[in-house]
Amino acid sequence: MTAAIDDKIQSHATAKGFTLTSACWMVVGTFMGLLGATELMAPDLTENIGWLVFGRIRPVHINIVLFGFVTPGLLGAAFYYVPRLLRTEIYSEKLGVVTVIAWNVALVAVVISLCMGYTQGREYAELIWPIDIMVVIAFALVFINLVMTVKNRQEPVLYVSVWYVLAGVILTATTYSLGNVIWRPNSGALVGIPDAILLWFYGHNVFGLLLTPLAAGVTYYVIPRVCRAPLYSHTLSLVGFWALLVVYTHIGTHHLLQVPVPTWLKVIAIVDSIAMVIPVMAFLINIWFTARGKLGEIHADIGGKFVFTGTIMYFFVSIQGSMMALPDVQRVTHFNNWVVGHAHIGVLGFAGMITLGGIYYVLPYITRKPLYSRFLADLQYWLVLIGMVGFTVVLTIAGLIQGNAWLNGEVVYRILPEIHPYYVTRAALGLMVFVSALIGLFNILATLFFNTREAAS
Amino acid sequence: MKMTFKAVVFGSLMILAAVVFAVVILPYFHTNKITPSEIFRLRSDEEATGRDIYIANGCVYCHSQSIRVIDWGLGAERIAQAGDYVQDHPILLGSQRTGPDLSQEGGEHPDDWQTAHFINPRYTRPLSIMPAFAFLGTENIERLTNYVQSLGLKNADERMKRQKFWKEASIKAYEAGPEANVRWLHELIPEGWRNIPNPYPTSAAGLARGHKIYQDFCFGCHGPIGDGMGPAQQYLYPPPLNFTILKDRGISGGILYYQIMNGITGTAMPYFKRELESEKIWDVGNYVAVNFINQTDADEEPKGIDAAYEP
Ligand code: HEC
Ligand code: HEC
Ligand code: HEM
Repeated sequence: MTAAIDDKIQSHATAKGFTLTSACWMVVGTFMGLLGATELMAPDLTENIGWLVFGRIRPVHINIVLFGFVTPGLLGAAFYYVPRLLRTEIYSEKLGVVTVIAWNVALVAVVISLCMGYTQGREYAELIWPIDIMVVIAFALVFINLVMTVKNRQEPVLYVSVWYVLAGVILTATTYSLGNVIWRPNSGALVGIPDAILLWFYGHNVFGLLLTPLAAGVTYYVIPRVCRAPLYSHTLSLVGFWALLVVYTHIGTHHLLQVPVPTWLKVIAIVDSIAMVIPVMAFLINIWFTARGKLGEIHADIGGKFVFTGTIMYFFVSIQGSMMALPDVQRVTHFNNWVVGHAHIGVLGFAGMITLGGIYYVLPYITRKPLYSRFLADLQYWLVLIGMVGFTVVLTIAGLIQGNAWLNGEVVYRILPEIHPYYVTRAALGLMVFVSALIGLFNILATLFFNTREAAS
Repeated sequence: MKMTFKAVVFGSLMILAAVVFAVVILPYFHTNKITPSEIFRLRSDEEATGRDIYIANGCVYCHSQSIRVIDWGLGAERIAQAGDYVQDHPILLGSQRTGPDLSQEGGEHPDDWQTAHFINPRYTRPLSIMPAFAFLGTENIERLTNYVQSLGLKNADERMKRQKFWKEASIKAYEAGPEANVRWLHELIPEGWRNIPNPYPTSAAGLARGHKIYQDFCFGCHGPIGDGMGPAQQYLYPPPLNFTILKDRGISGGILYYQIMNGITGTAMPYFKRELESEKIWDVGNYVAVNFINQTDADEEPKGIDAAYEP
């Protein structure tokens, strides 16, 4: 990893644009989550405001968090580190800025269409066809920009982070088109059981082929930089990368273990959900051994701190995930808040933490100014961490109450008052995450626009 | 291994292609020719429009349509088969059960219960956390109801036939006046039940428990003072029973127990045997008898041997 060519002449407009996009939409996404959580404890709060009904804002929350907060944040970091690792400039900042604008237009369309009830009704594939097309085009534009940057590179070797970004972007563009059945604009769906199989192939790969590779790309860049240490093992990088693509992609059916789908498909999904240990541990051992003895450096760097915490959450979510794919465990955990807890360790604890880490790590480089406030960034770190861990604990308890009660023959209605206190606690913790998003937005805006201090070096 | 640009991009795409072949295309050919199951029928246009409203309002995020071998609750009489879903486009299995599974919801309640419940779920279910859907308007609620009443397809049709038959009978009885209505309500109850007094004595603790159960389960229909004027009343016909009319009309602990346990199909009165254990049913029954009917047979003979806990 060598210094980039003359850093001074680069505008980093694309990286800035994506970073800002992420910070703004984190506020919107977490607000929608908070609103949903509040409705679950006080359902008549938004009575008769149709476009705020729970069933509409839940998909807004999920789509905005995935495509508005996490993905742009991770791409923002990539638009900084990819050219740098390749010792060149980004192919076209203009194209990059156009991509950022198109991306934001698509996100606005997401909020409006879903709130108005225009949805295709498939989890993670709700967006209507015109927005699907916008998303695919946006990913294609990102890919073109990255590919041309790779073509123009001065550095012959492609570093691990570059593999992950390239694969993540092109594979997501492909699976997104497949999973959203874009050849059927009206419904965006197949019929019956094949629809469920395709949907969960895709839904699962939103995490496996988008969030995980992009987050791994940032991790592979930030941790060695912060530690000023070479990467521990090239072999583990290879194993982690290829094993992720082979294993993660074909286990989506573990979402359908209790549904009449072919048994052989379930067996594959269960067995290889356990095999997920291979890519997960290859990646984590590689990163953790790189950081061995360097925790002080990581602690000192706010970006490094976020990213490293994200890797710990990756460990937990993956071990938990492998357990949840066991049919016997799923008898209790399926269909209830346990899964929501898992989703939040994954998307907020792992991918979201690394998104914020990537942003805080690259921000001083792309603005050539120090971070506006380290204190606020630390505050955000603790708010997200406490909020997210608290969430998981609370939702896991609620999930166990629900799952065990149902297994015991109690009906859904009887359990509602039992989980009410957990819904209240969850909303309170959600408030912390929302406040942290506001603080982050302020800090990032201040760094970008009203920071008068000069860069430290 | 040298990770060139081509190795990364084309290698990944080739892996993806192989995976798609194995876990999407092969299963597709395995599952797309599934024959419809024995409960299958096509949906009517009305039901299909209702389904669109179901999709537009995200009912799928709180309700599954997928009954598992291990389930006991609503719909558990039939475990889902692949052939139940052959017209579902998209399929609406769902991934959360914030509310109960709806695979077999059709005919579980009469239409008037569904309407009142959609207007505001807390009208019929005081503890519900389901959103109110009054904003959809009467017409859309009707369509949604049509869809929900078709869930379970042929099984739902059977249940709806039963609901409609008894709806007519209950309306006729209601319109014939309180005397005739009470007679009709009671003559359908097996005779043994009618003659059983509540075998447990009235106690402050029992009434307090009954009060809580009444608040959590019955309040929205029968109303705070048991006159049948809860908020759901305006949508229900026959309206929820005014308990005061039961006085001196042969009411017994056994009748109350039986009606609460089994519900009155055709009317909005749901069954509670899945939600309330035996003691709770006796308690709420006695609460109604003491507070609203003003006439209780608790602890009268014949009552058998006193229960162990009685003072
Ligand atoms: C926030 C989650 C949530 C959403 C969204 C939601 N529901 Fe519910 N639903 C519940 C809960 C909780 C219950 C159980 C309590 C009750 O009966 O109200 C329930 C109960 C029901 C029942 C009664 C089941 C029975 O027989 O006991 C029906 C029917 C129903 N919902 C239909 C719908 C429809 C149709 C929609 C979409 C328009 C919808 N629900 C949206 C949570 C939800
Ligand atoms: C959704 C509305 C609704 C709810 C909730 C409800 N009821 Fe009813 N109830 C009715 C209706 C409607 C009738 C029948 C009226 C008729 O046919 O005239 C009825 C009838 C009855 C009867 C029949 C009395 C008799 O002598 O045959 C009893 C007892 C009763 N309800 C008790 C309860 C109790 C106890 C609860 C709560 C655990 C409850 N109900 C909840 C609507 C409701
Ligand atoms: C080894 C790794 C993992 C395995 C084996 C795994 C397994 C699972 C399983 C079995 C479910 C379904 C639970 C159910 O419905 O009963 C699930 C759900 C989920 N997982 Fe994971 N998981 C892993 C890692 C991750 C990661 C890294 C993320 C996020 C980046 C993630 C995000 C989610 C989400 C959001 C859901 C909820 C899906 C829904 O809406 O139902 N998982 N996971």
